[in-house]
Amino acid sequence: MKVLMFSWEFPPLIAGGLAMACYGMVKSLLELGVEVDLVLPTKEMVYFPMKKVEDADTLPTVFLDPEKQKEYNRKFLKKINTKSETIYNTLHERLEYVGANLKPETYISGLELNRWSQVFEKIHATKIYSQETEFVEEKIWENLQEHLSGDEDIYKKVQELTLRAERYVQELDFDVIHAHDWLTYPAGMIAKRITNKPLVAHIHATEFDRAGGAGNERVHSLEYDGMTYADRVICVSKYTANMIISRYYIDSGKIRIVHNAYDVDDLLGVKKDRIFKGPTIIFLGRITLQKGPEYFLELAKRVLDAHPEARFIMAGTGDMARKILHDSARLKMKNKFVFTGFLNRTDVEHIFNSVDIFMMPSVSEPFGIAPLEAMAYGVTAIISKQSGVSEVIQNAYKVDFWDIDKMVEIVNYLIENPDECREMGDRGRLEVQTIGWDEASEKILAVYEELVLDEKE
Amino acid sequence: MLNLVFYFQVHQPYRLRHYNAMEINKNHDYFDHRLNEEVINKVADKCYIPTNALMLKLIQQCKGDFKIAYSITGTVIEQFKKYRPEVLDSFKRLADTGNVEFIGETYYHSLALMYDTNEFLEQVDMHRELIRREFGYDTTTFRNTELIYQDKLSDLIRDTEGFNTILTEGADRILDWRSPLFAYKNYSGNVNLLLKYYKLSDDIAFRFSNRGWAEYPLTVEKFVNWVEQLSLAETKERNLFLNLFMDYETFGEHQWEETGIFKFMEKLPEHILKNPYLSFATPSEAHKLANYQQETLAFPEPVSWADEERDLSAWLENDMQNNAIEAFYELLGKIKAKNRLDLLEEARKLSTSDHFYYMSTKYFQDGDVHKYFSPYDSPEQAYIYYINSLADMEERLND
Repeated sequence: MKVLMFSWEFPPLIAGGLAMACYGMVKSLLELGVEVDLVLPTKEMVYFPMKKVEDADTLPTVFLDPEKQKEYNRKFLKKINTKSETIYNTLHERLEYVGANLKPETYISGLELNRWSQVFEKIHATKIYSQETEFVEEKIWENLQEHLSGDEDIYKKVQELTLRAERYVQELDFDVIHAHDWLTYPAGMIAKRITNKPLVAHIHATEFDRAGGAGNERVHSLEYDGMTYADRVICVSKYTANMIISRYYIDSGKIRIVHNAYDVDDLLGVKKDRIFKGPTIIFLGRITLQKGPEYFLELAKRVLDAHPEARFIMAGTGDMARKILHDSARLKMKNKFVFTGFLNRTDVEHIFNSVDIFMMPSVSEPFGIAPLEAMAYGVTAIISKQSGVSEVIQNAYKVDFWDIDKMVEIVNYLIENPDECREMGDRGRLEVQTIGWDEASEKILAVYEELVLDEKE
Repeated sequence: MLNLVFYFQVHQPYRLRHYNAMEINKNHDYFDHRLNEEVINKVADKCYIPTNALMLKLIQQCKGDFKIAYSITGTVIEQFKKYRPEVLDSFKRLADTGNVEFIGETYYHSLALMYDTNEFLEQVDMHRELIRREFGYDTTTFRNTELIYQDKLSDLIRDTEGFNTILTEGADRILDWRSPLFAYKNYSGNVNLLLKYYKLSDDIAFRFSNRGWAEYPLTVEKFVNWVEQLSLAETKERNLFLNLFMDYETFGEHQWEETGIFKFMEKLPEHILKNPYLSFATPSEAHKLANYQQETLAFPEPVSWADEERDLSAWLENDMQNNAIEAFYELLGKIKAKNRLDLLEEARKLSTSDHFYYMSTKYFQDGDVHKYFSPYDSPEQAYIYYINSLADMEERLND
């Protein structure tokens, strides 16, 4: 089985949970013998062909242009021909060379934009829709061009990736196309349109989740186009599947649910290395509306009234970080509510080793991997019921994101009963060890096989 | 007679480093030693050493007719000793001339007056001891941090500390129709008040090198002419005071040497002293010189010398500043209650007003000045490092 995969992030390029989910999934797929050609929004036209498990860490790189490949080889070949450890060590250097950045360096040029309309003209000219969906498909292609137009950097980068999809499918050989979230759906659609290979649209978060409300209409449209045109839609939770059906009117027959997972590091041990002596409660994630940072602050205020010895850590960055910081000062949190800013992997490990309670009061969380990570360190998790992760774990407290009374009650109870807090943390730690990517990837492989089999029939 | 009263503020804070929350309970060092050393060295070379040499020369040339006053904080003296002892020595040589007055203030250049009276008085005592020790000088004039003054301050420092003169801002909203050239009394009539003549002070301190200013360039002749115009009506017996108060760093640091600021200062005394109705005085002399009935002035609300508002908003306006300073004094109270002398000195370094200034969000005209003086990228950063330091200190308190 060979997969052409489009994603916006992959480690070490990490903006959110998408990168870690893709990584876990790809690694397990490789273990199952699936080969993955990964395409990212790079500056250079490259892809990352992965055949063996280690490739997910070393990211072998191939240029579509052979001249550029030669140049790249000259620069890195000596290093590439040595041990994979060395390859890994040069990874950042290599990624910088191909222009793989979270903030893309290049955007579509005027010249490429000309090609843009050509591609769409070609698509409109060849009407090869399946009969039963002809009307819908025709409409989608008519709308896609309009939904994609826009001068913002992010749209221009999406346009670039979408156009490049045409080149990638000419060069690569694959059985299935797999696209993650709306930024890569148009690329996946073009790939399917040209090759007639089946398309899997993976939904990690919808615009409704990200915006904590209606959000951007163009993004909705692109999500709708992608999922409607796809042969299968993989949702990271029932929670998301429900949203896809009720808000995007996607046929339930083509939806498959594959919960995200978390592979516990074997080396991981529970060794408490505290920051604060008092009971410590943490929020870790993007500080943005979707994640409910304001509920965390309100909770902190109220818990401190009963337990002035408690301490609160807000870890991460985001568009609401400044607001929450000012609000925490206004609420006179004194020196009991601290901000860490962005944390790297080592920091995250340290911080999970130093806290007692993890809060995820997300307003809407398609999955939410962070609680699993916290639980792996024996931290007691309190999570929003409006999350996918609440469907897969038992040993955590589940609360409606808006029910601050309940959250305060639980946190106070855990502070007053530290033994129970520890026991819950221990049970959670053991439970997380049973939630691995291997099972999730088998489900994904089944989706691929189902589609390829359909093809053959 | 119109007496020019020069008072220069000499101060450097202990700037905090980028102290991350992850370091709490691991690393107890909050200060950016490298930056603090760098600043002391830079300002010593550009300002303190050359300006002290100039002042010494002027005092010697004028044979006692040129007088100045300094207020030097404890935090800057400590840093001179650590990084550039020769700067402190040059101040001592100035002290030896007998033409220099030293002014009392809080050791840590703090806002303690507003939050903790006992802490305020302790810091005033510490500073008095320091000036006595370093310069053999007994201070009789007081200036509070950033010239912050309100009525209760005069009671405190007169009754408890024995000062007889206070320097503050000649704020329009207090003076109203009056002139800052007179020596005034505090509201209860028992302490002298000298008020900064902010227009002429700021002409030197802020506008001197501003090419957009209509009066640019400011020559000594022009400045002395302005001063003479002020004194035209005062050729009689009355002793008036033109109070020129400014940061010492004006010379060579805020106004670089290339602007001609040193040449301006070098020529000023001789031009002033040519006029028989003009002379120089120190703040404590005003006490004896004021030969008229001094009006009392009430300051029910605090004033300061900062920004257009001349109030406390540069330090204590937004939520971050208020939370930070309240958290600080709460912690300081706990440190004292537990008698943790090992933490007290470090804690007090966090009382310096600059820490709160860096948290200011007044991003208009005045905000530019704030930004210029801040070692951090944003007020939020300054706040985060400060709160993290307090959080760590509180953990140590509970060890």
